[in-house]
Amino acid sequence: MNGRAPLLSVRDLVVRYGAITALDGVSLEVGEGEIVAIIGPNGAGKSTLLSTVAGLRRPDAGGISFAGTPIAGGALEGTVRRGIAYVPEGRHVFAGLTVLENLELGATVRRDRAEARAHLESFLDAFPILRERAGEAAGRLSGGEQQMLVIARGLLSKPRLLMLDEPSLGLAPKIVDQVYELVTSLRRDGLTVLVVEQNAGRALAAADRTYVLNAGRVRLQGRSAELTGAPDFDAAYFGLKD
Amino acid sequence: MGNLNPIQILVDTVSVGGLYALTALGLGLIFSVMRLANFAHAELVTCAAYAVFALSGQPVAVAIVASVGTAMVLALATERLAFRPLRSADQTTMLIASFAVSMFIQKLLIFTVGSRPKPVDPLPILAQPIAIAGAQVSLLKLATILACIACLGALTYLLRRTSIGLHMRAAAEDFTMAQLVGVRANSVILAAFVLSGFLAAVVALLFVAQTGFVHPRLGVQIVLVGFVATVIGGLGSLPGAAAGGFLVGALATLLQALLPAELRPFREAFLFLIVILVLLFRPNGLWPAPGLKERV
Repeated sequence: MNGRAPLLSVRDLVVRYGAITALDGVSLEVGEGEIVAIIGPNGAGKSTLLSTVAGLRRPDAGGISFAGTPIAGGALEGTVRRGIAYVPEGRHVFAGLTVLENLELGATVRRDRAEARAHLESFLDAFPILRERAGEAAGRLSGGEQQMLVIARGLLSKPRLLMLDEPSLGLAPKIVDQVYELVTSLRRDGLTVLVVEQNAGRALAAADRTYVLNAGRVRLQGRSAELTGAPDFDAAYFGLKD
Repeated sequence: MGNLNPIQILVDTVSVGGLYALTALGLGLIFSVMRLANFAHAELVTCAAYAVFALSGQPVAVAIVASVGTAMVLALATERLAFRPLRSADQTTMLIASFAVSMFIQKLLIFTVGSRPKPVDPLPILAQPIAIAGAQVSLLKLATILACIACLGALTYLLRRTSIGLHMRAAAEDFTMAQLVGVRANSVILAAFVLSGFLAAVVALLFVAQTGFVHPRLGVQIVLVGFVATVIGGLGSLPGAAAGGFLVGALATLLQALLPAELRPFREAFLFLIVILVLLFRPNGLWPAPGLKERV
């Protein structure tokens, strides 16, 4: 964290769905240029955390600040304008639009049209399958191709923070390798990444730091290398300690 | 009507179907971005028609501009005053609100201008028939067909080739995801209302020119059939709405031409029977929107 102010800072966040408390006072920080993972079992509150930062839900308590400015409330379309690209779980491609149109939508907030176009071309070069099928409906791509498409779409907004929710879900191991290769390659461009995963091994391997979430609370946190094989890791992950 | 000259039937079919197609598209645009079945669309048509009536002494260009302006301004006003405050409400609430807006404007019209039909003939020049391949075809019907083709072409261009069109299609598929990539909710919704107002005015002009009357329930007549067309075509699918409009228009015209004279007064009953049959076998319509299909 280099002692600088973090890019994203979440303080004592509480989110409830009716009587159920999904997040029960979660705090975390993501520094500029870091890759941070949030892992935990199903229902731990991981996706709720990302979607709240993205502006899809309002916190019941606590605060979120991005680049030193509090965010919460305001129109949803402001999220990406702040510099946060959110790739939700389940590969939300615009299925009826073409692959190219999906990518163009990623650059909606760009003012530098020529650079955005070149940026888009660079993704078509990096993923030849996307160029090959640029004119086809995105819904006809395979799961892995759709995952690459939505990540590329998110990156085309030129975000400061990329938030990925379960990018490996439902994908073949080989495809998951490619997804994580892409994620780690982003570090070279100085991008900050916050990734939520159920696939703990993958996340720990890719992330600088990891938070273990269970039942709405952070149970364990630290450098990924140190968490791997830590004696209390399993207990934290499966919620055996409180 | 009533003769079986194929050219005549074709022209009738396309001119009636085109009007329903434009009506269905006006409804479909709003439904696709807001999931709102906007019954107040009827009053956009009615008020645009009354604008033509109010300016019947003026040059026809003035009447056309005024009617387009009236429908667009009214569309934007209903969005701002009635639908925007309810945007996060559920679909039923918005549907009821659109009924309320519809009834309010309709009763206001009856209160201010009366319920009796009033004659209006904005384009008398188009009344004369011309002969095509032995059939007598009115210029008005040809103009209707041309206007429909022009509107369909312009709308297709706008939706397929412009960035606001891309944003509208994205919002129609997944509004939340569209906002997350930065599409502004207000822009796409306002664009949809402006376009639906424009289409309502075109429908009003052509319909008034064909029937020669305005009355406060004029819009309701057309828009009810327009709804049937969108449902047959597939709710939420714009090509489906246009195709459904043409289909319903074609059915109505063919029934009129082919039914024995004593059954013609019951034309609508036969039309809706066919509609029921279509929906029994294709409950999502003939050309359902991909986004809606997934949710079923």
